[in-house]
Amino acid sequence: MKGAAASVGKFLLKTKLFWGLAVLYGAGIILSPVNRKGANIFLEPGNQADVLRQVANNGIIAVGMTLVILTGGIDLSVGSMMSLGCMLCAMLLTLPGWTAASTASIPILGVVAFLLCAYLVPLVATNVRRGSAKPVEHASWNIRLLGLVVGLVVGALLVWWTTSQLQSKFGVLGVLITVPAAGLALGAFTGLVIAKGRLQPFIVTLAMMVAIVGLARLLGGETAAVYPVYTGSNATEDFEILRTLVLQVVPVPGIFFLVAVLTFGFILKYSAFGRYIYAIGGNENAARLAGIQVDQIKVAVYAISGMLASLAGVLYTSQYRQGKPDAGAGGELDAIAAVVIGGTNLMGGKGTMTGTFVGVLIFGFLTNILLLKNINSNIQFVLKGAIILAAVLLQEGQVGLWWKRLKARTKKVSTGESRRDEVLQDHR
Amino acid sequence: MSSLDNLNQLTQPFALEMRRISKSFGPTQVLREVDFELRAGEVHALMGENGAGKSTLMKIAAGLIEDFEGQILVAGQPVNLTSPRDATRAGIAMIQQELSLVPELEVDENIFLGQEKLQSLFFVDRKSQVQAAEEVLKALDFHGPLQMPVSKLRVGEQQLVEIAKALVSKARILIMDEATSALSINETERLFQVIRRLAAEGVAIVYISHRMEEVTALAHTVTVLRDGRHIGTVPAKGANRKDLIRMMVGREIQEMLAEDKSAAETARPMLEVRNLSLEHPSPTPSRPTLVQDVSFAVGAGEVFGLGGLLGAGRTETLQVLYGLHPGTSDGEVLIEGEPVLVLSPIEAKAHGLALVTEDRKRDGLVLGAGIDRNIGLPVMRTLTRFGVVARGREKALAQSMVQKLNIHARDIEQTAGSLSGGNQQKVVVAKCLVTKPKVFLLDEPTRGIDVGAKAEIYRLIRDLAEQGLAIVLVSSELPELMLLSDRILVLREGRPTALLDRTEFSQETILEYASPGGAIQPEFLNLEATL
Repeated sequence: MKGAAASVGKFLLKTKLFWGLAVLYGAGIILSPVNRKGANIFLEPGNQADVLRQVANNGIIAVGMTLVILTGGIDLSVGSMMSLGCMLCAMLLTLPGWTAASTASIPILGVVAFLLCAYLVPLVATNVRRGSAKPVEHASWNIRLLGLVVGLVVGALLVWWTTSQLQSKFGVLGVLITVPAAGLALGAFTGLVIAKGRLQPFIVTLAMMVAIVGLARLLGGETAAVYPVYTGSNATEDFEILRTLVLQVVPVPGIFFLVAVLTFGFILKYSAFGRYIYAIGGNENAARLAGIQVDQIKVAVYAISGMLASLAGVLYTSQYRQGKPDAGAGGELDAIAAVVIGGTNLMGGKGTMTGTFVGVLIFGFLTNILLLKNINSNIQFVLKGAIILAAVLLQEGQVGLWWKRLKARTKKVSTGESRRDEVLQDHR
Repeated sequence: MSSLDNLNQLTQPFALEMRRISKSFGPTQVLREVDFELRAGEVHALMGENGAGKSTLMKIAAGLIEDFEGQILVAGQPVNLTSPRDATRAGIAMIQQELSLVPELEVDENIFLGQEKLQSLFFVDRKSQVQAAEEVLKALDFHGPLQMPVSKLRVGEQQLVEIAKALVSKARILIMDEATSALSINETERLFQVIRRLAAEGVAIVYISHRMEEVTALAHTVTVLRDGRHIGTVPAKGANRKDLIRMMVGREIQEMLAEDKSAAETARPMLEVRNLSLEHPSPTPSRPTLVQDVSFAVGAGEVFGLGGLLGAGRTETLQVLYGLHPGTSDGEVLIEGEPVLVLSPIEAKAHGLALVTEDRKRDGLVLGAGIDRNIGLPVMRTLTRFGVVARGREKALAQSMVQKLNIHARDIEQTAGSLSGGNQQKVVVAKCLVTKPKVFLLDEPTRGIDVGAKAEIYRLIRDLAEQGLAIVLVSSELPELMLLSDRILVLREGRPTALLDRTEFSQETILEYASPGGAIQPEFLNLEATL
C-alpha cells in the first residue's frame, strides 16, 4: 500500500510539469468569461487557435534555445535575429530588384547551400554504407568531391532561382528559404566565435544581439522604420498562406512550431547529434576527450538557433503584416523563460524538448487567461515573473529541501547523559 | 594503564560521539545505525571500501548532510549539525578529498575566508591576517611566501593551507578525507608529522584512507565500515593487515597480484616516442619546459611505467601523446612503426590511442548520464545509422562491458555519478576499451578507489597487456607502479633521469632518480649538458 502510494507520488513528481499545465488549463476554463451565447470563451476553438498562433514564434525560438542551453550555452541574440528575419522578409516581399536585403541574402543563401551540401552529402553517404559490422569512420575523397559538386550545383541553382524572382518579388517559398539561410549563417558565425575563441556564450551572443539589431535597422535604411506588407497589393498573394488556418482550426505558424518541436525533439532524443549535445552540456571535458567534435556540435547548435529565430521573424511578418526592426525585442528572454519553466537546466546537460513544449504552452495560456480577464498589462508582467520563479523553484526541488531542513532544525535533541551513565555502570 | 586511568578516560566525554547514524540516498541505504566515537588527541583511521559510507558519515559530522537519523554529541553535549556553520561552531572541520580553497584568493584570504579579521566595521585587516596566517603556517612547517593566489601553490601546500584554515577556526576535531591521494611521498611524510603534532596537542583527528601503510603508521585506532555498517573498531597497533582487509571486504582476497610477471617480449614496438617536449605556460629559468626530450618505446604487451614526483611532467607526457597540447608540444610519435600526427583527441582515437585521465569526474565521465550512454559516447558513430542511435546495440555494448569489467550497478542506465569510485573508474576504462585501442595511456588509474576494486583494475591492466596492448602507466603509488610495470622511466622536472628494468626496481632507486638533486643515469646526462 505504502509502496503504491510512493510510486504514485513519484509518478506525480515526474510529471509535475504536465499537472502544472493541466491546473493552469483548468484555471483558464473556470476563470474565463462567458460570451453572449453562453459558451466558455477560453474553450472556443478560435481562442485555442489564437493561443497556438501566439506561442508559435516564442515556441520556435525556444526550440533552438533548448538545444543551445543543453550544451551549457545561451543565445541572447535570438530576439535580434528574429527582428532581422522580419526585416529581411518584409523587404524581399515588397521591394523588387537588388535592394540591401536581396544583395545581402542571396549570396549568403548560395554559400550556405553549398556548405551544407558539402557537409551533409559525405555524412549521409558514409551512413548509407554503414552496416552494423564494419563502421566507416571517414568519407573517401571521392565522396567528399561529390559533396562539393552537389553543393556547387544546389547553391548555383538556388542563387539562379532567387535572382530570377527579383524582377517580380519574392514569394512565400523564396523568403522561407532565403531568410532562415541568413539566420543559419549568422548563428553559425556566433557558434564559430564561441567554439574556436573558447569564449563565454553569454558575452558573444550579447555582442551579436547588439550588432544584429543594428543590421536590421541598417537594412531598413534611414527613411522607413516599418515596412507594411499587404499581400495582393505590394506583396505576392501566396504569402497569405502563412496566415491561414489548416482544417479551420490550426494556424500555420502553430504547425511550424509543432514540426520544429517534433523534429528537434526526435533529433535530441534519438540521434547521435542529440547525444553529443547532452554530453557536452554534462561534461565538456569528457566529451572532448572521448573524441567528439565539440566545436562542430556547438557551431551547429547556434546555427540552428539562428535559423529558427529568423524563421520566427518570417512568421511575425505574416501575422502582423509588417516588417520592423524591433519585432523580436525581448524575444530571447521569453524563450529562455519557457525553456527554464520546462525544466531544462541552465548549466546544460539536463532537459527535454517535451519540457520546453509544455513550458511554451504554460507561458501562452497564462498570457491568454490574463488577457481574457482584461488584466492590466503591467500586472501581467509581474505575474509572469512570479510564475517563472515559482516554476523554477519547483523544478529544482529546493522547496522539498527547505521542508526537510526545517524538520531537521526542529528535531528534538535528547541529552547525552543517559548513555554515559550506561558506560559507567558497565564499568563498575 | 591503571584501572583508575581507564575509568577517567571513560568518564571523560568523547570529543565526538555519533550514535546510531542512518542515512539513505533515495533507495540506497548508505549508513545503517553506525556508532562512532572519537577521543581527544587520537588519530582515528576510518577505513572501508568505496561506498562503505566513510565519507558520508564524516560529511554528516561536518554538517554537510542535513537530513539523517541518529544523534551527534560533541564533548558530551548533543549538537544539531545541519550546516557547515554549525559544525564550525562545534569545533569540527573537514578537509575534503577535493580541496575547497578559492584558487584566486591569496593564502591568508583563504585561511580567514568567512572569519576575516576586520579593521573597522568592514575593512579587512590584511596585515594582521597575513601575520596570523604566517604564524599558523610556520607551525605546520610551511615556509613559502603568502602573498600569492593559492592556485600557484603545490597540492601539498594547499593541503597545509586547508589545515591552517581549520586551526584558525579553533577546530578541535579535524576530519581528513583521502588527504594523501594527491601528495608525493615527501609531502605525505610532512603531513604525517603535522598530524602527529596536532594529535599530541589534543586535537582529535579522523583520517579516512585506503592506504594500509598510512593507517598503521599513523593511527591509534581503526574503525572499519562495510556496506554502511560498523564492522569493528580496533587499536591500530595490533592490527594485522590481512585482518583489516578481511574486515573491509568481508572475504579473504588474494592480496593484489602475487605472481611475478616475466619481462614482456619487446620485439614489436607498438608505440615509439622521440624527443617529446611541451612548453611551459609561464617558464622560469629553473623550469623552462613542462616536458623535455622524453623518448621511449613501448612494446606490444608491455606495461611501461612513468615514475616521478608530482609535477615531474608525467601527466603532461600522456596529454601530449593524446593530442591535448597542439601547438605547444613537439616531438615524434610512431605507432606500429608508422609516424603519426596527433593534434586532437579525435586523431588520437583514430590512431588507436586511449587515455584514462587522473580525474575521472572532471575529464572522464558525464556524471549525469547513464553507464550505457557514457560507454557508447566515444563510439557513437558506430552505433548509429543516419544519425539515429541504435539503442539496442548501445545497450548490448554497455552490457557486455559491464560484464567484462565486473561493474557493479543496479542496471546499465544508472547514472555514472551515483556509482562508487571504483565502478566509475571501470566505466572510464570501458569507455576507452570500446574504441579498441592499441596504446592505452593510464593516469593514476586507481586514485581514490578501494582495495577490492584496485586489485580488479590491476588484473585488468595485466589482461590488457597480455592481449597485446601497449600500456603507459602513471602512478604516484610506487608499490603499484613497481608491481605493474615491466620498465619504468623516471622523470624529474620534465626530463628523463633513468630507465629502470624490473630487476632494478625499488622505492629507494626510483626516489633517488626522481628527487631534485638526485642521481641521473649516464645516458641521460649528456642530454642535460646539451641543453
